[in-house]
Amino acid sequence: MQTLSTDVLVIGGGATGTGCALDLAMRGIRCILVEKGDLTHGTTGRYHGLLHSGGRYVTKDPQSATECAHENAILRRIMPHCIEQTSGFFVITPWDDESYGDVFVANCHRTGVPVQEISVAEMLRREPALNPRISRVFEVHDGSADSFLATHSVALAAREYGAEIRTYHNVVDLVRVGDRVVGAIVEDLRSGERIRIDCTYVLNAAGAWAGKIAALAGVTVTVVPGKGTMVAMNHRMVNTVVNRCKLPSDGDIIVPIHTVAVIGTTDVHVPDPDVFGIEPEEIQFMLDEGEKLIPGFRQYRALRAWAGVRPLYKDKDVASDRDIPRTFKLLDHEERDGVSGILSIVGGKWTTYRLMAEQTVNELARRLGNTQPCRTASEVLPVPRFEHRAHAMVTVSTDPAAQTPHYWLGKPLALVESEHAAGDLICECELVTRDRIVAAIDAGAHNLDDIRRDVRMGMGPCQGGWCIYRTANLLYERRCADGLSHTHANEAILHFLQERWKGLTPVLWGDQLRQARLDELIYAGVLGIHRLRALAEPGGGLVTQHPAIATEYVQA
Amino acid sequence: MYDTIVIGAGLSGMLAAIGRAERGEKVLVLAKGHGATHWSTGCIDLLADVDDPLAGIAQLAIQHPHHPYALAGPAMIEQGIARVRAIGEAAGYPFAGSFNRNLLLPTALGALRPTAFAPATMIAGDARQLRDGRPTLIAGFAELRDFFPPLIAANLRAQGIAAEAAQLTLPPTQRQHDFSPVTLARLCEQPAFRANLGEQLAAYVRKGGYARIGLPAILGLKHATEVVRDLQNRAGALIFEIPTLPVSVAGMRLYQILEDELLRLGGRIQLGGFVQRAERISDTLVAVFSEAAAREQRHTARRWVLATGGILGGGVRATPDGHLHETALDLPLQTPDGRAGWFAPRFLNAHGHPVFQTGVRVDQRLRPLDAAGQLVYENVQIVGGALAGYDPIREGNLEGAAIATGWAAGQA
Repeated sequence: MQTLSTDVLVIGGGATGTGCALDLAMRGIRCILVEKGDLTHGTTGRYHGLLHSGGRYVTKDPQSATECAHENAILRRIMPHCIEQTSGFFVITPWDDESYGDVFVANCHRTGVPVQEISVAEMLRREPALNPRISRVFEVHDGSADSFLATHSVALAAREYGAEIRTYHNVVDLVRVGDRVVGAIVEDLRSGERIRIDCTYVLNAAGAWAGKIAALAGVTVTVVPGKGTMVAMNHRMVNTVVNRCKLPSDGDIIVPIHTVAVIGTTDVHVPDPDVFGIEPEEIQFMLDEGEKLIPGFRQYRALRAWAGVRPLYKDKDVASDRDIPRTFKLLDHEERDGVSGILSIVGGKWTTYRLMAEQTVNELARRLGNTQPCRTASEVLPVPRFEHRAHAMVTVSTDPAAQTPHYWLGKPLALVESEHAAGDLICECELVTRDRIVAAIDAGAHNLDDIRRDVRMGMGPCQGGWCIYRTANLLYERRCADGLSHTHANEAILHFLQERWKGLTPVLWGDQLRQARLDELIYAGVLGIHRLRALAEPGGGLVTQHPAIATEYVQA
Repeated sequence: MYDTIVIGAGLSGMLAAIGRAERGEKVLVLAKGHGATHWSTGCIDLLADVDDPLAGIAQLAIQHPHHPYALAGPAMIEQGIARVRAIGEAAGYPFAGSFNRNLLLPTALGALRPTAFAPATMIAGDARQLRDGRPTLIAGFAELRDFFPPLIAANLRAQGIAAEAAQLTLPPTQRQHDFSPVTLARLCEQPAFRANLGEQLAAYVRKGGYARIGLPAILGLKHATEVVRDLQNRAGALIFEIPTLPVSVAGMRLYQILEDELLRLGGRIQLGGFVQRAERISDTLVAVFSEAAAREQRHTARRWVLATGGILGGGVRATPDGHLHETALDLPLQTPDGRAGWFAPRFLNAHGHPVFQTGVRVDQRLRPLDAAGQLVYENVQIVGGALAGYDPIREGNLEGAAIATGWAAGQA
């Protein structure tokens, strides 16, 4: 068995783990990060994309609110290419308690969350689709964030600083010598080979899976996987994040992100983060709630639904999962459980990932005798190559918004137009050019789903009808010299079609149902992919079927 | 007042309209837009996954007496297809194949797809010929995003066909970028473009001794047969087209020959008319109203054919709360029980998804019935994808069932 050695082994390639890897590497601490799927494969890649102002937590979780407000300003500085400055509204609808408005403002002031009340007329001028029966509006610094791109940017920086990041590496065991954890056995899911990684510390940053990792060391960490279901709608009916001004509950937020608006979320306790379903009632409930914010919401085309599992850490008995604090906690298992060599970072949310990493690495650095200060709040993150062209400044426009380093909705189209690349669009819905797909393949995509997360291929209205075929072919042409065969390419298509189907069935009606049928005509009719099933097998450096990364959706 | 108004301009609607027009009737095809023909392969699928389609259909009709094929009957199937073939022949776009043996034609992924009849431009791609051991070249253009030779060739090789892949250089054109299948099809009708293409193919044949060359189905829009014949002569090898992703040039050609025939017979076509409601007297449909140019338009006819398709064609629509409705006349639908039964967990499961069998239940004369089996309209016939109880994509009878029922409605 191959053996590697490092100072810190980080388990989990979500925002938190990747953020920790960067912080460690920046301070000169050797680290290896292992993630069983792709970066953001767990919860980071399955959230609505809200850059929190802190407003949602001012009443129930003031510490989180303050942390969010602080980190919000930092993230805008260090990853402008991942953030759209949408701003955010908290609105009081006829279904909400009028009196909460004043409480909300007072709590914003108390927690340091910037807030300003604006008139309903002003709100309607900026967002004409919102319900005119809304009575009060408070504006906060919400934004939307591309959590896929952000995590890739953090990982890129971490690698530049010397961190080693291994995706599709599943931890199968932790190695314990007496009361000390000294390393881990991980399986490379592409080859099936096992590797031993010796380390001074294991950092368990596995989010909703942290309990499963801790159990390998023989310690108990109670993470309550809180399933949140979201629906992406095919229109940005608002360009501002819209929250109901009330205590956080189901279906109370709409986040405009890239080409879609996401409504979320539900919060349902699930026993296992790998086994959950999307219930039709959840979808219907959110559409009903969407109607309250935007009359006619149901008439928009729903693109897909998905669920993520919040990594809520349950410290003591709390009434409901939504009452568990959204702040994070660093668990020292030596002090807590008598097992040394392992720390767990649990809870938290995307917006505070950097702060979580900072505090975690402060503690690790202290123990390792490293006195370097944290610099993650000041260094601007690099842009991955598959995004590079889209990030270039567009000079064709005189609009000042076009010149901002931040993401803006019209930017991909402006770039495609300025490059006359319309004929080279592989994914027409999301304006993804051949160059960007090829760059994502060259960056080491392990299946079509990785490419989707990298460049948004297949996330638009047609849900991959045209671009799955095209991308699979580009993947084959690009990598057939490296051992990727036609059987692997066939398997990649079959796998991706099935992955998309899971997210589609809950929202298939109207045009999207018709689209699904057209996609069936394309793949089963025109292309006959099912006739190639005997010529499809996993491999070629792609990871398609593996129990460690399979999310079992139980049919509702 | 028309004798017959056909609602829907897909294959089934066009066949019904041609049938009525041939009898001297005044016929209108009223449609929201072009039908699913433009999305499909341009071949005529009768029944997939059987050796003998006609025998398979006879078997199917016994097992499923309400299947559209059973309702149309074998005579209508054969006559309808014979009529399409005659139209193709007269238009210089013949179809080849057989009722009793499926062809196996390569797809743009290199799968082998069964179909009964294919345009002559595709016929040299039949797998039985390709397996003769002589080399086949699969060639395309890098500029075309809907056709990738290397994977096609690799999948064909894995199925015993000596296929190789090549990327051609796009002949010089006025156009700088964005080459869709339709754009390329028009370019192929220009002699200079074709001559350049032919020279490149000839060079490959000289070098590799290819007996056959598979190209994307972009070889001409109106004169495909001539384009293919010319390229064959220049290349010195047989040429066959492989259908691409929608929009399908071969599908457009099939529609076009039917449209030309209907117009020749004096029929009319009005696209952009989305039929939204009906006016009835007792069990007679007297008028429909279409949404057109900021007003409703009233259309009247003695008899009607509903050819709006199923969920794919847009004739059946679902609401978010799980209700399915027929869009034009609000006819009763035969649907799966409850939304929970709409889909199978696997997208490509062998039997498809029950929701896509939603459609209108009909009597032996294709007239609509309600849930109790009572006739809804005595002067309306339902054809093609709007019919209940079959899955044209999964059964592999998309064109066959449409032609058979459309032709039957045109004759009754």
